Amino acid sequence: MNTQKKSTQKKRRFNLYAMVWRTPIIVWQLLFFVGPLLFMIAMSFFLVKNYRMIEAFEMKNWIKMFSKNYFWDSYYLTFGLASLSTIIATVIAFPASFALAFKVSDNVRRWVIFLLIIPFFTSYLVRIFSWYVILAESGVINAMLSYVGLGPYTMLNTMFGTLVGYMTLCLPLVVILQTFSLANVDKNLIQAAKNLGCSPIKTIYSVIIPLAKTGLIVAALFCFILSFGDFVSPYYLGGSKPPTLPILIIDTTKSGQQWPRAAVVAVVMMATLITIAFAALALAYKKRASR
Amino acid sequence: MSNPQSEPLVELESVVKRFDDFVAVKSMDLTIGKGEFVAIMGPSGCGKTTTLRMLAGLEQPTEGEIRIGGELMNDVPPHDRDTPMVWQSLALFPFLNARENVEFGLKMRKVPAAERKKRALEWLDRLGIGEFAERNVATLSGGQRQRVALARSLVTEPKLLLLDEPLSALDAHLVIRMQSVLTKLQRELGITFVYVTHSQSEAFAMADRVVIMSQGEIAQIGSSRDIYREPANRFVAEFVGRNNIISGKVVKVTKGKAEVIAASGTYVVEAGDLLEGQETTFVISADLVQITREATKSENSVQCSLISEEFIGSVVTLFLEAADGTEFKVQLQERELSTLDHGAGDEFYLSWPAKSAHIIDGA
Repeated sequence: MNTQKKSTQKKRRFNLYAMVWRTPIIVWQLLFFVGPLLFMIAMSFFLVKNYRMIEAFEMKNWIKMFSKNYFWDSYYLTFGLASLSTIIATVIAFPASFALAFKVSDNVRRWVIFLLIIPFFTSYLVRIFSWYVILAESGVINAMLSYVGLGPYTMLNTMFGTLVGYMTLCLPLVVILQTFSLANVDKNLIQAAKNLGCSPIKTIYSVIIPLAKTGLIVAALFCFILSFGDFVSPYYLGGSKPPTLPILIIDTTKSGQQWPRAAVVAVVMMATLITIAFAALALAYKKRASR
Repeated sequence: MSNPQSEPLVELESVVKRFDDFVAVKSMDLTIGKGEFVAIMGPSGCGKTTTLRMLAGLEQPTEGEIRIGGELMNDVPPHDRDTPMVWQSLALFPFLNARENVEFGLKMRKVPAAERKKRALEWLDRLGIGEFAERNVATLSGGQRQRVALARSLVTEPKLLLLDEPLSALDAHLVIRMQSVLTKLQRELGITFVYVTHSQSEAFAMADRVVIMSQGEIAQIGSSRDIYREPANRFVAEFVGRNNIISGKVVKVTKGKAEVIAASGTYVVEAGDLLEGQETTFVISADLVQITREATKSENSVQCSLISEEFIGSVVTLFLEAADGTEFKVQLQERELSTLDHGAGDEFYLSWPAKSAHIIDGA
């Protein structure tokens, strides 16, 4: 009994193997994530005098930003656009993912997933610029619409443009993640539901979605995080007006070297994303309470 | 026991099921009466589960007709049938608690919430797991989850219950207990059970009629006793029970007895329709063979040496070999065995009366 206790203690103390493998990722995270994050939090309390940053611990930047309407407008806009992007991507992706998971052969599924990965071969920036050709007033879509006597419509430098950019960024990833989670649903449970009188449509929301819940939420979470922090789409396709938070950060640093104020915005963004991620994962992994 | 001639509930007429090139069920004809407990038994891949899935509408027959309650069911989708199934994997919904699982079928039939709950709780109580109604199904034991699955299938009061190897995942002692739960329920409710299994002890213990399937075809239909004592063919004789199967040539028929020469010796069987010169195969169940140290004056006697023994509780099977290498099996009670001082390689005499042999078709 006593020796057993000793040996487990020993094991815990000298698990060198696990330590060695764990160390690189811990060092990496500390150096390039936790460190900069702490520095950024500290910087949000610094001051700027004569275009030069001075180390300090003042609430001035926080008070300044929180009292400005443009900050809150930008916050609500970014949050709203990211939420809208998440909803649109989830809804558009679901039928495609459903078909890929249940309606096509393994071979077709493999090829389509391969095709969905291809966009990631090219830089996101390049993919965004290619939308210019399609969305411009003299672009492909307006040219086609003019044949049926419609348009031209302004699509660039609008919120629609921003959302198109978000979809370019998120949609392939959301489809892939949703497909994996749906394909893992136990087919026996689907048959059991039908056997108990559940019609095919009803099966989707009363059995398949609850079973694939974790993966569907994680896919949506990725979409929210990517959209919320994206700078490229709102800048190039949305015309940066009104500015989203990432654009606000850039504008703030440009105007008068206000790095500390930009840090305030960045810390608020980080806090928002961490809160959302925790809430989403808690929901995704929520187990049924058992009384 | 209900007889197969009672009003039919399920009728399969020349049903064929093909998956691409593979024929899972070959022209099957089967009628199952109202209130009957039918077990479909066979080795894996024999088509028994496919047959059950066709009754549930999860597979469509390639040819032939399936009728339930006189209605042609071939093209009726599974959710429009009243044919609940108890699954081998149980297939309980992990995102619902025990009660909600039971309520599922009622919810699909748009039964109001209050009545749903009441009926679900009644069934859980009836199966002795009322106290676990609000528990997450993952936290229940195998036996308890089995009962939830049963309650879920029975709560809609179907006329026909399909069971797909429902007890195969349970511990041996629970299997016996669930068998009595199932037979009791079936008697009380008077509904038809179609029970698919590969276990002869389950099939024989519960079913009114047993259907033995082999390679997509029915090998024999009959009561447990018929199938055990009078196997219709070599497949059934090998698959069911412990049988000694002997093939030989009839050399003499006198006074209702036939003499058969086989590799391991000459045997006497009841002649029946046997003719002189005919090839025949007969079966002697291992539990009808007598084993002795000394030769007996029995009609059939063969000298063998003991190879091995298999002990399964109160029954022991001895494996012996005749001079020509033919294997013989003898089944006896453990307490009988203890009086027979035995060891591997010992010589014994096996004997049985002519009437114990059962002649099967084919050679």
